[in-house]
Amino acid sequence: MNAVAARLGGIGWTHPRTIGILGIVLGALAFWLALPPLASRTAALPVAIGILAVAAGIWTFSRDERRVGGGAIAAGLLGIAFGVLATRSSSTHLDEVVVWSALGAATLRYATPLIYAAIGGLFCERSGVINVALEGMLLTGAFFGIWGAIWAQSWAGSAAWLVGVGSAALAGMVLATVHAIWAIHLKVDQIISGFALNFLALGITGYLFIDKYGDTGTPGDVPGIPDVHIHFLQNWYFVGPIIGQLNLMIWLSFVLLVGTYILVFRTPFGLRLRAVGEHPRAADTVGISVYKVRYVAVIASGAIAAMGGAYLSIGFVHSFNEGMTNGTGFIGLAALVFGKWRPFPTWGATLLFGFSSALADRLPNAYGNQWGTLFQALPYLLTLVAVAGVIGRSIGPAAAGRPYEKQ
Amino acid sequence: MPEGALLELRGITKRFPGVLANDNVSFELRAGEVHALLGENGAGKSTLMNILYGLYTPDEGEIFLHGRPIDLGSTRAAIEHGIGMVHQHFMLIPVMTVAENIVLATEPRRAGVLMDYDAARRRVRELSERYGLLVDPDARIDRTSVGQQQRVEILKALYRGAEILILDEPTAVLTPQEAKELFEIIRSLTGQGKSIIFISHKLNEVLEVADRVTTLRRGVVVDTIDAEGATEEGLARMMVGREVLLRVDKKPSQPEGALLQVEHLSVVDDRGLEMVRDVSFEVRAGEILGVAGVDANGQSELIDAIAGLRHVSAGRIVVDGRDMTNADAKDTLDAGIGHIPEDRHRRGLVLPFSLTENLALHAYRHAPNSRRGLLNPRVMTARARKLLSEFDVRGGAPATPAFALSGGNQQKVVLAREIDGDPKVLIAAQPTRGLDVGAIEFVHRRLVEQRDAGRAVLLVSLELEEILSLSDRILVIYEGRIVGEFPPSATEEELGLAMTGGRAAA
Amino acid sequence: MTDELSAEEAIEPPPPDGIPQPQQHFRSRFGGLKGAIAPLLTTILAFFMGGLVVLLTGKNPIRVYKAVWDGTGLNWFVHVGHHSARVPFGTAHMWFPWDTASIAAQNLQQTLLVTTPIILTGLAVAFAFRCGMFNIGGQGQYFAGTIFAVWFGSSFNGMAPLLHVLLCLVVGTIAGAVWAGIAGILKATVGAHEVISTIMLNWIAIWVGSYLFGQGGPLQNSAQKSIPISNDIFDGAKLPVFWGLKLLQGLSIGIFIALAMLVVYWIVINRTTLGFEVRAVGFNPEAARYGGVSVARNYFLAMAISGAFAGLAGAVDITGWEYRIGQNDIQLGGSSGIGFIGLAAALLGRNTTLGVGFASLLFGALINGTSGRQLDPSIFRPDLAGNLTTIIQGLVILFVGLNLGGVWVWLKRRRRA
Repeated sequence: MNAVAARLGGIGWTHPRTIGILGIVLGALAFWLALPPLASRTAALPVAIGILAVAAGIWTFSRDERRVGGGAIAAGLLGIAFGVLATRSSSTHLDEVVVWSALGAATLRYATPLIYAAIGGLFCERSGVINVALEGMLLTGAFFGIWGAIWAQSWAGSAAWLVGVGSAALAGMVLATVHAIWAIHLKVDQIISGFALNFLALGITGYLFIDKYGDTGTPGDVPGIPDVHIHFLQNWYFVGPIIGQLNLMIWLSFVLLVGTYILVFRTPFGLRLRAVGEHPRAADTVGISVYKVRYVAVIASGAIAAMGGAYLSIGFVHSFNEGMTNGTGFIGLAALVFGKWRPFPTWGATLLFGFSSALADRLPNAYGNQWGTLFQALPYLLTLVAVAGVIGRSIGPAAAGRPYEKQ
Repeated sequence: MPEGALLELRGITKRFPGVLANDNVSFELRAGEVHALLGENGAGKSTLMNILYGLYTPDEGEIFLHGRPIDLGSTRAAIEHGIGMVHQHFMLIPVMTVAENIVLATEPRRAGVLMDYDAARRRVRELSERYGLLVDPDARIDRTSVGQQQRVEILKALYRGAEILILDEPTAVLTPQEAKELFEIIRSLTGQGKSIIFISHKLNEVLEVADRVTTLRRGVVVDTIDAEGATEEGLARMMVGREVLLRVDKKPSQPEGALLQVEHLSVVDDRGLEMVRDVSFEVRAGEILGVAGVDANGQSELIDAIAGLRHVSAGRIVVDGRDMTNADAKDTLDAGIGHIPEDRHRRGLVLPFSLTENLALHAYRHAPNSRRGLLNPRVMTARARKLLSEFDVRGGAPATPAFALSGGNQQKVVLAREIDGDPKVLIAAQPTRGLDVGAIEFVHRRLVEQRDAGRAVLLVSLELEEILSLSDRILVIYEGRIVGEFPPSATEEELGLAMTGGRAAA
Repeated sequence: MTDELSAEEAIEPPPPDGIPQPQQHFRSRFGGLKGAIAPLLTTILAFFMGGLVVLLTGKNPIRVYKAVWDGTGLNWFVHVGHHSARVPFGTAHMWFPWDTASIAAQNLQQTLLVTTPIILTGLAVAFAFRCGMFNIGGQGQYFAGTIFAVWFGSSFNGMAPLLHVLLCLVVGTIAGAVWAGIAGILKATVGAHEVISTIMLNWIAIWVGSYLFGQGGPLQNSAQKSIPISNDIFDGAKLPVFWGLKLLQGLSIGIFIALAMLVVYWIVINRTTLGFEVRAVGFNPEAARYGGVSVARNYFLAMAISGAFAGLAGAVDITGWEYRIGQNDIQLGGSSGIGFIGLAAALLGRNTTLGVGFASLLFGALINGTSGRQLDPSIFRPDLAGNLTTIIQGLVILFVGLNLGGVWVWLKRRRRA
């Protein structure tokens, strides 16, 4: 807590960093002004504010806060571009697409499987084990979530979804255990083993799905994860429609996020976890069991990612289909990389990616299908830019991907 | 047992396949003393200390603490017995803070589960004030200097309750100023009752900081003496030994024009430290110029700069009249530099490659080995067969992968490749490291042959005997500077003094 | 390793991440007949475990595998008799030991059609691997190839046929090379990990492709605006079919292109200075650098060449039998497309020429044998069988990694050391 206070107190208002962040905010503002409800119709306004943002960015960049500065420049340019585009669009089109409350709610819905996947990946990779099997873990969770819920429907009644989530987590752990054994003890290349598990998950869930539900699909009355209604919130302006009625798993993801932050950055376990991921030999010389920490992290990773899958099948779409995750796990991985393996920035990245999915959903209403589709590439493009180091390099845990040999 | 012996190692023997690293070593540490462990590279110092820190188990011998035998099966056991080690390569996590590194695995807690960062910071500050080890607990390791990192390592050991501190070549990575500060710290630590084992091969340091000195040579203890009254000459004699194993028959050199000129060269290493400082020399056709020095005094950076593998920050490199400063490795090789790298496994050979391929590692891009990008395997194999017999490489045909050869034969392959490139300048870095006597003789003879064939040979070695028996002139490098030039008739003591920053260097 | 060497290492403590001399196993795992044993065992194990899955869900694995085998058309080789066959590209007939028009023959044509791009994407993975890199992006590079082949193939009506098909193949190849080259440049310049960047490039290609051929997309079918599919390529841009009927997806000469590329791969790797550098960098970049080889340049080149193979795979598929591409095909490719099967083929084939060839045939046969068109649904549901194929692929990669792991880890160590 003191650290936060110290950090807040330590903000210098003319510090390059602050100016840079201001630039990013200005860039966003440039775009926002052109959108409903304000919907400025002159292009001059977003251009002017965007230029300010770019200027702030350049100033920041030249003072060696390259990351923030680059971000502000990018935000300013994007703000100008989108702002001008928006002023060129008809306002009816804009009104159809930009319904903030609906966008907000959809963003959270799309971001939730991503955050579970990304947090799962965070534990795994922070311990020094690369996890490209998040996609498979998510898919496994999606299938076993719905399978468990259907199975429990007869005897657990309305609590069947709990069994679903539980069986999803368990299945994810089984998959992750294979990854752990392969990566930690057998010292197999972690990328190879991760991809093998993606194949396996795709094949096994597809096989079981066809075998069990192939003719009719999953039943329509699958017991789902309940929504949380917060009645007094629902009528509030703007926030009400977004968070007044959210799925339980979304709320749980917030708890998971904060919990992950505390666990990884505020507890001895977290310190050891990060030590093992950065410099296993150093951790070993002070008596930390590298293997034990890695097993715990990898298996936890499977459980968490699979819960995101369960949300997808019994919290969001209420059905299962072969390969239904269709890259969600990889967007989660992208968010993790984009968020530099830190919980809150990663969450921010999932929101950004979720927002782009939500927008992609709504764009067709006014502008035709194809733009929505192209928009889906955005998370990957941003992540590629992030690893390329254009806006501050994204560098993962130092020991990730390397098996540890005991001496 | 003598009075005051805190720790005693008795009759420690440690064998590795084919080598006796420690032979019946006995060693005793008194409470509150600084005991230096002196020896050349490979004398067995590190093995002994790794045994003490629980990393290796000795084959024979016993360890006593306070007169009671103890079992050091793991580092954890060593820590519990109050033994702390500061490794030569720091065991620190670069992206974590000083405090986090220090408390790792024995973290103070709050509410049972949370890290108590305030307590961690407080304790680090307490410790650092108590022993005069000034560090900022909140600084990230990768943003602190090497000297500070070393303090963090010491604090790490102290935090775990170390009474005995092993410092493994602690000054190897320090600037002279930082080394002075370290000696202050060491005095402060012993003043508060800690005992210190100080591993080094720098004589002046040992005399400055140690109370007693134990010298190891080839795994055997030569003697333990009091530092007071000891001289650098005496220590050098103990460390290096008198007997010279190898004599190379060679005629006096007939040097001609300079083939390699290095002028005011400065080179910076990966960490941004200046490792070569304003170095100037020349190597003439028909002579072997030896560069003597203790490890990590800028030799690697000097060689890499000449070979076009490292950026030169100032100065000039001229090969046979052509300015090759900051040329790339390919052009440098083509300009007539042959390079026997210091680590043949990492740099000299592609181990899974066949001998043919390894022998063609430079020549593959020139006719007749290849034309218009197409390799000619028949020519390459024929060339390999010729070189293998010429250089008497045993145990391998042209198609044998390099890892299947013994070390000596591997080195012959490197030698064959570099000499066959017909270089004007041949750089030989540690050319006989880890070789047996026969292979050493072979390499030495070949190097002299190259000299007599009119090439300029630059020999860089940590082995004084090698330098003395091969060189026509000897330069001594110390902390990135050339501190003296000697004739081959110089004695080991003279060179040893200069190499260790002794009086001759001043 | 001799005593002499260990002596050297033993005096000072071994390097912190020292690994116990896996080099000794290197040759036996990579070379000669012995090298085929582990992949064979891997395959048998994977099929055995796949059979267990079938058994557990109440079906007879032996009958299932028999049906799959029949579907692959590989049984064609067994049925020797007196038949006549049309001389390729001519009208005359000649005596031939096999019936070229039997059902089995048709099945075999399908199998070889599927095998063709797997060989090429397998070579893509293998080539990058030889330079010490893991090209996960074969799928994206494959799509880059298909997109450009479709685009050029459905343009330039009336171009000379041979020229048109060549143009399609060339632009597809270049597209793949450029797409992979991005990852190569990022690795060579800023050191971005090729696995992350190629995964991202895969999905960018998938969504851009979906956009291009989706409703209202710039390359979507100009006649039927409601179907998310490309225009058909013109006849002049189609590869000649030499066996079977063009209408029934007969076998095009694409298979010869793939076989030729196997030879090209072998020559480039073993007989050119480029291959020499690539291998040197792959095994030991540090030693390569000391030998005057530009490591960054080779990272880029190897990645681009790797992508060229995958791009060619896409172009051959388009010009050989697909002739068009749908949005649906692209989106399905994201998780188990040809690029990923190439990954399995390269791993199983240990990046050797023959290995990649045979492993590709195995996967091509498996995919075809379990496809809806070939498998008798009364014995096993084809959609189940398709998933069984995916499971077997997963198991193959999982177990093949076990053997290869040591070598790969060792390669990486060398790289970081």
